[in-house]
Amino acid sequence: MPDAPDLPVLTFRRGLVGFDGPQRFHLVRWGGDDSPFSVLQSLDDPDLAFVVVPPQVFFADYEPEIDDEAAAQLGVSSAEDLLLLVIVHLADDPRDATANLLGPLVVNTRSLEGTQAVLSPERWPSRRPLAAAAVAA
Amino acid sequence: VLVLTRRANQSIVIGGDITVTVLEVRGDQVRIGIDAPKSVTVHREEVWVELSQANKAAASPTPEALEQLKDLRPAPPAEGDS
Repeated sequence: MPDAPDLPVLTFRRGLVGFDGPQRFHLVRWGGDDSPFSVLQSLDDPDLAFVVVPPQVFFADYEPEIDDEAAAQLGVSSAEDLLLLVIVHLADDPRDATANLLGPLVVNTRSLEGTQAVLSPERWPSRRPLAAAAVAA
Repeated sequence: VLVLTRRANQSIVIGGDITVTVLEVRGDQVRIGIDAPKSVTVHREEVWVELSQANKAAASPTPEALEQLKDLRPAPPAEGDS
């Protein structure tokens, strides 16, 4: 992972689900100039990273409802200040890649604070295949 | 494990600022109300476990897996789509 000291630092005070404790991340574009993907690289644990993508790139129907509590926790008053990302799970075969629509990452672009929202599993799966919405060029 | 018996509309208090109230008991279902500070996250266990497992599975992809990102792109909109 290249050094990128000029990148903004995103702070997840509660970490992510299953990764407790505060985590700070760099968000690094990844995969070429036309890639929608980024890598969320932990600054507190060099071994921890996640591939993320703005969900609308692959899932036009994805309209998560971020509850008031999560928004209030982030201090977000306007949807314009929200950056929504979903975590991508890469498998050995690119056709098996999935996106986690159950627990999107929500970032306040003003304060750079983020949290992982927890949505309804009846509506949004934690492993929705990217394949149906993707082409391997 | 502490075991307490409660009836509908009875509560337990945890740590002074969390109150769990049994709202309704019907058959094998129990409706529970939880009053907790915003700093405390409350989730159904199975959802939390699923999300925790998904996060752990996706964490720290190998360099080989990251190579896939050079080729993985959204499909162009199907004909007829706006």
